[in-house]
Amino acid sequence: MKTVEVKKGILERNQENADLLRSIFYQNRIFVMNLVSSPGSGKTSLLEKVLPIVKENYNILVIEGDLQTENDAERVRKTGVEAIQINTGGACHLEAVNILKVLKGYDLTKIDCIIIENVGNLVCPSSFDLGEDLKVLLISTTEGEDKPIKYPSMVRVSSVLVVNKLDLIPYVNFDVEKAITYAIGVNNKLEIFKTSCFTGEGIEEFAVWLKSKIEDKKL
Amino acid sequence: MHEASIAQSILDIVLETALKNGARTVRVVNLLVGKISAVDNSALTTAFDVIKEGTIADSAILNIENIPIVGKCNDCGNLDEYEEYFFQCKKCRSFNVELISGEELSIKDIEVD
Repeated sequence: MKTVEVKKGILERNQENADLLRSIFYQNRIFVMNLVSSPGSGKTSLLEKVLPIVKENYNILVIEGDLQTENDAERVRKTGVEAIQINTGGACHLEAVNILKVLKGYDLTKIDCIIIENVGNLVCPSSFDLGEDLKVLLISTTEGEDKPIKYPSMVRVSSVLVVNKLDLIPYVNFDVEKAITYAIGVNNKLEIFKTSCFTGEGIEEFAVWLKSKIEDKKL
Repeated sequence: MHEASIAQSILDIVLETALKNGARTVRVVNLLVGKISAVDNSALTTAFDVIKEGTIADSAILNIENIPIVGKCNDCGNLDEYEEYFFQCKKCRSFNVELISGEELSIKDIEVD
């Protein structure tokens, strides 16, 4: 018996695909955001509110990841933004190869921003780089405020935390500041937004932030 | 259950490395898995055991070394191990803690015949 040194990252192949995507996005000056959360935190609702504001100035493409149905892509299309639906079948996350496949032959020259709405799952998507500039993590007030320390790997790899469904605070036992402190304890570099897709609170701020990120990528 | 996908990636790298080194059988696969890498040892082992069948790694054992989370405080320099996933410096209470280890997800080496 002999020992053969490997010293390789397990997700090397996904990383190679993600690096390829990142270089394609860079060449085309496309800002790419990977939107992650548990199922039902309001990823699609946030897009329905933010897209109408941002699409006035920029060409956006949304890639929707779900196990089944075209429902989320259809909701996005109603805002006038183009959407591609990926049905993973049973898979609990998107991988870089899924994104490469749907973008093959796609004319990216006119696109300013791609938003990938990942499969609703707070665990698995954390391991798979999709070539994005950053991950935006949504948690909502109907979840436990300790979500950030229960699912730390996702918080670690995210750059932005959006606390959504602020309008429900009077009816739920959710301490926003506590949730944010937990999140900062896991990842002190997080940028924080607080939103309600129902009242519109915080939506404009998030849209302004997204526009500035799209602009920064063009420099 | 992304462990199935991770198991497949492990098997691909293991078989490729074994082939390159003229191995006939893979006995052991030594992995480094950080405690915050969101990978469950038993789910990974179960998935690996299913997909390894019929390959030269079909009797291979996954040996998973779980790496503890160690953080260094960038404010006071304190180095500490963290059991909880809340990285506030245990000395000066700062959140400016950088993780030195705990996020690994790699194959260290394989033992082959």
